[in-house]
Amino acid sequence: MEENKLIVLSAPHFKSPLTTKKIMFTVILALIPAAAASVVFFGIKALLHILISVVAAVATEFVVQKLLKKKINITDGSAILTGLLMGMNLPAGAPLWIGAVGSIFAIAVVKEAFGGLGQNFMNPALAARAMLLAAWPSQMVSWVTPIDAIATATPLAIAKAGVPDTATLPLLWDMFIGFVGGSLGETSALALMIGGIYLIYKEIIDYRIPLSFLGTVFVLATIFGVDGINSGLFHLLGGGVMLGAIFMATDYVTSPSTAKGRWIYGIGCGLITILIRFWGGYPEGVSFAILLMNICAPLIENYTLPTKFGKVAKVK
Amino acid sequence: MKNKYLKTLTDGVVTENPLFRLVLGTCPALAVSSAVANGFWMGLMVIFVLTFSNMLISALRNFIPDKIRIPCYIVIIATFVTIVDLLMAAYMHEMHKTLGIFIPLIVVNCIILARAESFASKNSILHSAVDGIGMGLGFMAALMIVATFREVLGNGTFFNIRVLPAGFPVAKVMVEAPGAFITLGLVLGLINLITARSKTA
Amino acid sequence: MKFISILLAGILINNFIFVRFLGICPFLGVSQKVETAVGMGVAVTFVMTVASGITWLIQHYVLDLFGIPYMQTVAFILVIAALVQFVEMVIQKTSPTLYQALGVYLPLITTNCAVLGVTVLNIQSDHNFFYAMVNGFAAALGFLLAITLMAGVREKLEFSNIPKSLQGFPMAFITAGLMAVAFYGFQGLFKDFLVL
Repeated sequence: MEENKLIVLSAPHFKSPLTTKKIMFTVILALIPAAAASVVFFGIKALLHILISVVAAVATEFVVQKLLKKKINITDGSAILTGLLMGMNLPAGAPLWIGAVGSIFAIAVVKEAFGGLGQNFMNPALAARAMLLAAWPSQMVSWVTPIDAIATATPLAIAKAGVPDTATLPLLWDMFIGFVGGSLGETSALALMIGGIYLIYKEIIDYRIPLSFLGTVFVLATIFGVDGINSGLFHLLGGGVMLGAIFMATDYVTSPSTAKGRWIYGIGCGLITILIRFWGGYPEGVSFAILLMNICAPLIENYTLPTKFGKVAKVK
Repeated sequence: MKNKYLKTLTDGVVTENPLFRLVLGTCPALAVSSAVANGFWMGLMVIFVLTFSNMLISALRNFIPDKIRIPCYIVIIATFVTIVDLLMAAYMHEMHKTLGIFIPLIVVNCIILARAESFASKNSILHSAVDGIGMGLGFMAALMIVATFREVLGNGTFFNIRVLPAGFPVAKVMVEAPGAFITLGLVLGLINLITARSKTA
Repeated sequence: MKFISILLAGILINNFIFVRFLGICPFLGVSQKVETAVGMGVAVTFVMTVASGITWLIQHYVLDLFGIPYMQTVAFILVIAALVQFVEMVIQKTSPTLYQALGVYLPLITTNCAVLGVTVLNIQSDHNFFYAMVNGFAAALGFLLAITLMAGVREKLEFSNIPKSLQGFPMAFITAGLMAVAFYGFQGLFKDFLVL
């Protein structure tokens, strides 16, 4: 541990006046509208899911850092953010323990085992979500309708199931507001966009990744969509693409830090999302797309570095 | 004299455990550790092949020309693998189907060639046999340890006997690929930790 | 169509490393640096493609003809060992630079279980000569993809403050596990179109 103290990692926030803590809490603040929307739509269960995930994430961070005899930095907000994203990635009908298991996995295995903050290669909350989906497939797709909490399918699952039927598909307006089944945090595109605009305005996130991600999804869905129902707009508002593009794909640690790299990364995310949504085995591909691009990120970054040696890539 | 053999045996099982310490034979370790029974049978086959190939290679060690020793070893190993393959197909048909391609692949299990090259080619027949048994047992034990975690958490059973209540939400992923990699990684880490602790203590 | 199906299945859906657990030793052993990983991947690609063709011929024109299919394991591993020797010699003679780059990895390929694995699988799935080679090529490309991505991630992790007992192999396994989860996204891809 000692010998590593001088290594400054690639995380761009070390180069700006922003501290990790400030960034984390700004992102958490930006997530509040979407989190609030989920509580409005899915009730107390949503709040419980989010609280349990956050508490489990922070507690795991504390225990692991204690065990590894590292400096305890649970107040920097990164564990809270991971827990919050974990909770918001759960379906409302899932059992309450599942968020805790996900958060423990996210923090202990995906983050701290790789050295902690800024050193993981995958987004912890997303990796945990994919793991939960693989471990408990039925629990992780227990979608319910907002307000009256009746078991339902997500718009994407309905579209995937066969010839889209205008009667069963939700209205785009409902999808925009969030009045559809889905993971807690991903239903309300409106609330997520408010958070996203705030983050771009505050210069916490770069516009490139969300723009290229969402743009690719929109263009490809428009080209390959059927009958105007499986349209570009439908695929922008449905599923986790807003949440993913704004809050998960933009994670500093797991995305390229070069401008060109970010375009490639965003387009890659969009491509894989559409590939899985249209032709894959799952109705939703956002989390897998981001995880796969997380894996590619080091290579993308290497091949888009502006100078070959010695210089750290400048990040706007 | 006795001591030497005992040491070889414990080396194979504990201090030089092929999977946990030397990290050899990882492909079958990942593939067949989804159930304890699979690990047991794979371990048994490796013990058989390793012991007999070690003995034969040791017996022929003064006759095999140095230049073509590797192909010779491979042919000897492949012969014993074919024998267990046929034996399994005849008497343990279900298990033969479950382990599938990983039975012929025992040929390229690095443990066996590594023992041939580094032990059997330099030691007596009896000593090589003991080494084969020790290394094989070590591999079998390692497989079964990893498989225990995976089968209990992923299927709720141990050696096909139900140990978790029927309604327990088992994590399906444990018996699949990601569970294999992560379990083996964590078990290796745990063993490193224990060894480090016991050395300092 | 079948051609594309086999390619897609080999590279993404049934990736040899992340789904079938074949070729793990070199995948872990030679993935510290992207450059060497690519070298290993290319060498494996060549050997797997050619080995798929030759073993197919051996199976159908020697083993089956003489009624000795149980000699498959012995025959195939010998063919692979000889092929690797041969490739090594040819590369050494024709392109010393390539030999310098790949030289160290070539002997290792004999014990890469992906090679023997794919040749046996080719016979089991009754591919004809052409598709056996396509299958070998596709599986090898999957290996190349996996080892390249792994090396990229590991180069990044080099600077990570990984807990001591997890350094090296344990961390490599956990990394591979997380990558395997991400590859779940390709499960069932194009299942309405694929002909396998």
